[in-house]
Amino acid sequence: MKMPVKSWLIATTVATCLAAPAISTANSNLDRLSKDAKNWSMWGGNYHGTRYSKLNQINTNNVSELQPAWTFSTGVLRGHEGGPIVVNDTVYIHTPFPNTVYAIDQATQSVIWEYTPKQDADVTIPVMCCDTVNRGLAYGDGKIFLQQSDTVLTALDAKTGKRIWSVQNGDPKLGMTNTNSPVVVNDKVLTGISGGEFGVRGFLAAYDINTGQLAWKGYSMGPDSDTLINANSTTTWANGKVTKVGANSSTKTWEGDQWKIGGGTTWGWYSFDPKLNLVYYGSGNPSTWNPVQRPGDNKWSMSLWARDADTGEVKWVYQMTPHDEWDFDGINEVPLVDQKINGKMRKTIVHFDRNGIGYTLDRVTGELLVAETFDKAVNWVSEVDMHTGRPTVVDEFSTEYHGEDENTEGVCPAALGSKNQQPVSYSPQTGYFYISGNHVCMDYEPFEVSYTAGQPYVGATLSMYPAGVDATTGRKNGSTNLGVFTAWDATTGEIVWSNDEPFSVWSGSVATAGGLVFYGTLEGYLKAVDAKTGRELYKFKTPSGIIGNVNTWSYKGKQYVGVLSGVGGWAGIGMAAGIDDGTDASNTEGLGAVGAYRSLSAYTKLGGVFTVFALPGHH
Amino acid sequence: MIKSLFTIASLCFSLLFTPSVLADKAFKVCADPLHPPYSLKDGSGFENDIAALFAKRLNLPLEFTWFPQRIGFIRNTLRAPLVNNKGYKCDVVMGVPTGYDLALTTKPYYHSSYVLVIAKGRDWDDISSPEQLANVSEKRLDNLKIAMFDRGPGTTWLHRNGLTDQGIPYQTMTGDNENNTAMMISKDLRAGKIDMVILWGPMAGYVLEDGGANNYNVIPLKSNAGMKFDFSISMAVRYGDRTRQEQLEKLIDENAEKIQSIIQSYNIPLLPIPEYTPQDDD
Repeated sequence: MKMPVKSWLIATTVATCLAAPAISTANSNLDRLSKDAKNWSMWGGNYHGTRYSKLNQINTNNVSELQPAWTFSTGVLRGHEGGPIVVNDTVYIHTPFPNTVYAIDQATQSVIWEYTPKQDADVTIPVMCCDTVNRGLAYGDGKIFLQQSDTVLTALDAKTGKRIWSVQNGDPKLGMTNTNSPVVVNDKVLTGISGGEFGVRGFLAAYDINTGQLAWKGYSMGPDSDTLINANSTTTWANGKVTKVGANSSTKTWEGDQWKIGGGTTWGWYSFDPKLNLVYYGSGNPSTWNPVQRPGDNKWSMSLWARDADTGEVKWVYQMTPHDEWDFDGINEVPLVDQKINGKMRKTIVHFDRNGIGYTLDRVTGELLVAETFDKAVNWVSEVDMHTGRPTVVDEFSTEYHGEDENTEGVCPAALGSKNQQPVSYSPQTGYFYISGNHVCMDYEPFEVSYTAGQPYVGATLSMYPAGVDATTGRKNGSTNLGVFTAWDATTGEIVWSNDEPFSVWSGSVATAGGLVFYGTLEGYLKAVDAKTGRELYKFKTPSGIIGNVNTWSYKGKQYVGVLSGVGGWAGIGMAAGIDDGTDASNTEGLGAVGAYRSLSAYTKLGGVFTVFALPGHH
Repeated sequence: MIKSLFTIASLCFSLLFTPSVLADKAFKVCADPLHPPYSLKDGSGFENDIAALFAKRLNLPLEFTWFPQRIGFIRNTLRAPLVNNKGYKCDVVMGVPTGYDLALTTKPYYHSSYVLVIAKGRDWDDISSPEQLANVSEKRLDNLKIAMFDRGPGTTWLHRNGLTDQGIPYQTMTGDNENNTAMMISKDLRAGKIDMVILWGPMAGYVLEDGGANNYNVIPLKSNAGMKFDFSISMAVRYGDRTRQEQLEKLIDENAEKIQSIIQSYNIPLLPIPEYTPQDDD
């Protein structure tokens, strides 16, 4: 009572903290953690999703001496996507279904705690189209967030592994599953949904990190109240300028109620710009399989999104592939980089789509800046019209143009895309992006009789094979490689260098201040290349094919590089699920992915192992 | 290579064990546990009835591997090796379209068609042909509640006749282990959420059985250029498993009448089986 002013000040401070406690804690803590290169605190290494580390102990001069320091078996056979999270000296790794989480003490390389959620395999596994992968964990506010396959999102105590809360994010009975890594943003944890083959309508959802309560949910299609599009403020790129989308921009691009099972799922990676308070991600393909049966642009499938992190309201949205005919699922990651374009510094968002186009947009406004093919095998599109923002489709490779009576042959890329979900890295030292790519084309053969859930119909078959051209020029060269690893300048849209890989590169890369880029290969090699030239400086064969992301961190002054091996996923589905019986006809059921990858089994077998690398001795 | 080895192995077996042709200890069927009227885990369903008939003829016990009929079915059943790598979880899928490319199919054993099923007493009793439905007045269209599936020819038909706006979209596959597509459609027809549906013959049979055949009008859809509504259905074995394919074809021939009467008892509209050209082995 004697010091009213001071008490009032204290009271205000307390009130402010109470009003927005987590905004200042989880967010700034995570930001701080991610800025300390000893941690790898989220899938992208930082909020901007650049997968760049300032560590330089391992560098171009000494990387040839790199060696495995320790290994750890996950005990699970199926495909291991995603990568380790390292926070405050503890390593957290995850497995595909049953989604076990291990917290590992680096001092002893032993398990501090492990957690396996209860999930009904009979309900969950039959709903997962393309192997039972999981892309990893998120950390925030002393919690580890696990997005289970059965759509349950769980918060665990990072120290003890004790479950704090769980929330049902979707309904597997409706075909919903999850494979994505969640992301902690402010006081919320963000997650999406998988299940486009079942007609699931995609959404991005934000849950309170302390309670698991739903804060907002924005759908990929539907009325504005569902998409959280504001007809008065949400913009897109059209007619050569940033343009308001207007009312119900989604539903008017569908016939009838088809948008209700419209797809546009959200199983990729999400980035965040703390200064703009915007979250960014891509939405997937429209779910009706046969494009003829869904006239219209099918918005906002196949789109890049910027949403307000607090409310989910859409700031801008840009559709890359209107009326998709090829399954070019638009969910790939969206790193945020500030770079000079035409002499002017821009806050950009960069995206390498399944459709083979590398996009650079202004991430504040959604202005389209660059759109060029990042693998010159790409032929379905001649260019992106920079005025309309729409791709100019080449009739010869349009399945719909050819109609249901004719084969469409030699479409590049194949449905698995010039690049799939494996995230790129960006080095501010070189200014290049590093793309793990597929170099695969397809034939699309209608007339084949198909059968889904007891109903026969005339469908189409995909067969996939090596592109057979130089990825940098598009010239036919009779090559048989299925993958490429490419450096890209996103300010101009040009390939800087590109290395051929015998198989698709299905592993996310990491770039470091040591002048290096690390990535894994389907045969199981962990490779290090010179970020400037692409010259291979190191490789080591891990126990199984790598479809995980390579991450790096330091512990007691020593830099480590870690990756999960364990072949599977879409590329390895034949091996992971035992369908490749050596016949041509075992080609199709993994959505066409098996045939081209048949010879992979000569190089590697199933099995999840975490391998950690370091330089020998004390540095 | 693997395939040819497998074929050789099957041939050896067939030479050694001529009486049962294959050295099988059971007739192993891959089936959906909740897929009326095809198969249910309690052993009912017309595919299960036929499987039971064949097992009896072969004098073998009937064994099932259960997995839902959707993406991954063949991968998780017919082509899923046993843990000891000696053989596969199951050897026969009782129903797939003839010429289905994920497996080697037998000669067809029935032929059915998509049909338009209309609930009676909902102001659509006058409709007696698909053409009539396609040409109803604008005013009546407002009240049209017709189910629509992804991929099926029914959706193409709706689209070509400008009726997509009236379609109520349904998932072709559900993820639900307690409710499948035919069950969902039957329930919604009875509840009045939809008044009609273009449905594959066997599923229409289930709807009639479940809701009472007298409560529905059933109108066949005729195939025409670019729209195929009728399909032949075969059994399926793994590619290379010619011996088993031949065994099944023999059983299909020997039991043709019995098979037809089993299918008919499920209210399934049947058409004559058209001439059949055998499928190439991969």
